Order: sequence, then structure tokens, then C-alpha cells
Amino acid sequence: MGGASRQDSSQDDAGRTKGRVHSRALEMDLIREAQAGSRAAFDALVRQYEHQVLRLALHLTGSEQDAEDIYQEAFLKAYRYIGNFRFECSFYTWIYRIVTNLCLDQLRRRKTRREDHAVVVDRTGDEIDVLASVSDNRSFSNPARELDRKLLGAKIQAALGKLTPRERMVFELKHYQGLRLRTIGEMLNTTEETAKNTLFRATKKLRTQLADLR
Amino acid sequence: MNCELAQEWMVTAAYGELPDEQVHELDRHLSACPGCQKEREQVLALKLLADAHPVTDPAPNLVARAHLRLDEALDTLPPKRWYERLGERILNNFASLQAAPVAALLLLVAGAGAGVLGGYEYAQGRAAHEATTAQAAASTGAQILPAASVPELANVAGISSIVRQPNTEIVDVSYNQVVPRQIEGSLDDPAIRQLLMLASESAASPGIRDDSVALLAAECRAGHSCQPSGIREALMVALRYDHSPKVRQKALEGLQPYVADDVRVRDAVLEAVLNDSDPAIRTAAIGLLEPVDADTSVRQVLYSVSNSDQNAQIRNVSRQVLSRVPEIQ
Repeated sequence: MGGASRQDSSQDDAGRTKGRVHSRALEMDLIREAQAGSRAAFDALVRQYEHQVLRLALHLTGSEQDAEDIYQEAFLKAYRYIGNFRFECSFYTWIYRIVTNLCLDQLRRRKTRREDHAVVVDRTGDEIDVLASVSDNRSFSNPARELDRKLLGAKIQAALGKLTPRERMVFELKHYQGLRLRTIGEMLNTTEETAKNTLFRATKKLRTQLADLR
Repeated sequence: MNCELAQEWMVTAAYGELPDEQVHELDRHLSACPGCQKEREQVLALKLLADAHPVTDPAPNLVARAHLRLDEALDTLPPKRWYERLGERILNNFASLQAAPVAALLLLVAGAGAGVLGGYEYAQGRAAHEATTAQAAASTGAQILPAASVPELANVAGISSIVRQPNTEIVDVSYNQVVPRQIEGSLDDPAIRQLLMLASESAASPGIRDDSVALLAAECRAGHSCQPSGIREALMVALRYDHSPKVRQKALEGLQPYVADDVRVRDAVLEAVLNDSDPAIRTAAIGLLEPVDADTSVRQVLYSVSNSDQNAQIRNVSRQVLSRVPEIQ
């Protein structure tokens, strides 16, 4: 019984590995075609990664408009410089490197402008005050809990806003995006050890900022 | 481990990136340090708190809108020119080379090492060959000359060796060259006699052999100095082996004074009686034989020839000689 399940597990692993290799090979073919000038191949690559790019940009910036701008700029850069891609890393790492640098630039600009992080901006440019209560028609809803949740979220966002752009980026990529420290180091053009130290500093600052919430 | 390090490690461990051996070490520290235990709880609490600001998936409208805007922007971009793509490809190739400096350096070192080793072995081989050639030249007294400096090759007597230098197109050829000379002297002159004896044995022309044997035989018949070793040897060799009947005849005539005194000459004459292909020489050899009291071989040969020889004249001549020997009769 155990032997059969182990065999199944190893077969599953082999199947997953085969699948990864196959998808990696397909991606490399797409990249080569895009390098040769194929718009369709580049479009296929965009569709593979656009959700992740928008997710990251949206969570970092809190603004749909900013997220859209970062998306636009990132993929235009990728299109312009895909000929320089030398397969030394995965395309995923390469595109994320572009996105994180653009996000860092955005965070640095925000730091200088000292924007209020307690609000969320939608695509029309209207600010949504997270502290304002929202009516809920559902009979089973708990407005108090909903408010608490939003308040907490705003405080977390405010605390994240107190981090340096680099600390914010590392914490975002580690905690919210689930990337490995080694990958984060590659994306930020630094070492795994430096990324680890940056994460430690970020968590220490957040703990100080959020001390009254614990 | 100290608490400062433990607090760093617990953050890494909270995100699952601490190596197993360090996790074990951290657990041991936490089990003994209440302060760090509290720190760890706060780290885990922070993780939970941070999740209060969750990551949300982008709305489909946002995705579609962003994609459409990107398509519009890409449509406005001019296509890359062929020279732009070519330039990118060239730069990528250079970048690939630049990205492998260690491999390029290793290749350079390996190539240089192979070149040095090959050159060293070639030089060693050449030195060994030159030493061998010099030794051979020293033993033969020959001087190794460049081919370009050698005048037109003529009178080459023979090729003694051909050696090719390894991994080159240079060949060393050892050859003997005949140098024509001429000397003049008396028949008693040792150098003249030596040359005459050489000529009797190895002269290419039977006429030269004939002349040399005739001169040597004349010397011996004339009673000039004719040492046992030397001229007699040369005449006996000529009698036994020369192809020309004239030369054998001359040699036989030259040995005539020594038949009675020299057993070796007598034996050579008896061999001629028995084996020579020319009946005239056999007849002449029989005429040279004289019964020798102490040597019964002459009588035996004559007796045998007189009875069984196929040539009638040989049988008659041998009987005539035997008739002059009272013992045999």
C-alpha cells in the first residue's frame, strides 16, 4: 500500500517535472520568436505574466492608475529590449526585474510627494477613504468587523509606507508575492544575504509601527 | 548562539528559508530563552497582521484595459530594422563571450600549455635526432650538409640510410659517392697490388678482372714477391669463383709455381679439375698437377676422373698423368 502510494507520488513528481520542462521549452520558443520580431509571440508572453505584474503593481501602489502605468511601461520596455535577453535567467525573473525597478521608482516618487497612504485611488482618480463606513445590504453582514478590517488594512498600509522603497519591495516580494530570497536578490540586483538583511530590517520596523495593534 | 542572531534567524525561519540545521539550532536557543520566544511570537503575529492587507487579483476590466492600451502603444512603435536586430545579435554574442571570462581564460591557458608542451617535445625530439645523426656522422666521418649546398650528385655508389625527421618534411640521406682517382706505380708497389687484388675480386668489368689477374699471375710466375696471403688468395678466389673462363685461366697460370709447395693452391687446382665448367681449364689444371709423394689426394682425384669423367679427353689426360706415376700403375 505504502509502496504503491510512493510510486504514485514519484510518478506525479516526474510528471510535474516533465510538464515544467515542456512549458519552459515552449516559453523559450516564444521568446526566440519574439526576438525575431513576432508580435504574436510577444503577445503570448504578455498574457502569461500580465496578471502577476498587475497584482504586484496594484498592491504596491494601491492605485489602479499607477498599476496600469507600471504595466504599460514594463511591457513596453520588455518589447524594446527583448533582443537583449540572453536566457541567463528565466523570463519571469527578467520581467519581474523590470517591474520591481519601476515600482521602486514609483515608491521613491511617492516618498518625496508624501502621499496619504490611508486612501485608495481608483481609475477615475477618485480617492476612496478606507476609514469611511460602507453600507452593506446583506442581512448577515457585520459592519463593525468590516470596519475593523479596513482600519487594520489601512494601518498596515500606512506602516508599509514608512519603510524605505527597498525594504517595502523586499517585504512585498517575500510576504505577499511568496518569492524566495534568492530570487528577490536576483530581481533587485543584489545578493540573497542582502535581501535577507533587508527583510529583517523591514519586519523590525513594522513590528515597531504596529506595536499598538498587537 | 546569541539573541541578536536568533532574532534574525527567526524572521528567516518564519518565511521557511532557514536551513534545517539552523532551524534545529534556533529551536534549541528558543527552548532556553523566554525573551526570544516572545520575539518569535511577535514575528508570527506580524505575519498575520500583514495579511490584513491582502493581495487581490486585478479586476478583469483592469487587465483588459491595460492590455488594450499596451496593444495600441505597440502598434505605434516602428518595427525593428534588420541592422538593429543584427546589432542586437552581435552584442549578444559579445556578451556571451564576456559572460564566460573564466572559460575563455581556461581555454587560453590550456591552449598555451599545449603549445608549450608540443614545442618542448618537438625540440627534444629534434635534439635527440641531431645527436644520433651527429654520432653516426662522427663514426663514419661524414659531414651532414644541407641539400641546397650539395653540388650535382654524380658517381653515387650507394644509399646507406634514409631517416625522416618526425613531424617534418626533412629527410636525412646517407650515401656513398665514388670519387674517380688514378695512380701510377710499379707492380711491386703495395698500393698497386692492393688495387689489383681488389679489381680481381670486385671489378664490374670482366676485362678489368682479366687484366688484374693476368698482372698478378705474371708477377707470381716471374718470381716477384708474391706473399702467401694476398696475391695467391686473390688468384685462388678468381680460379674458384670468377665467371669468366679467361680470368680463371689466367689465375690458374698464376698459381702454377705454388702447386707443389702450397696445399691450399693444390686443393684449389684439384677443385678446378673436378668442378670447373670449362674443359680447357680442367685439362690445364690436370697438367699442372704433379704427383706429390706426401699427398694422396692428387692420385685419388686423377684416378676418379680417369674412370668416371664424362669427358673423354679429360679421362685420357688424367690417365696420361697417372701413367707417369709408377705407384699407381
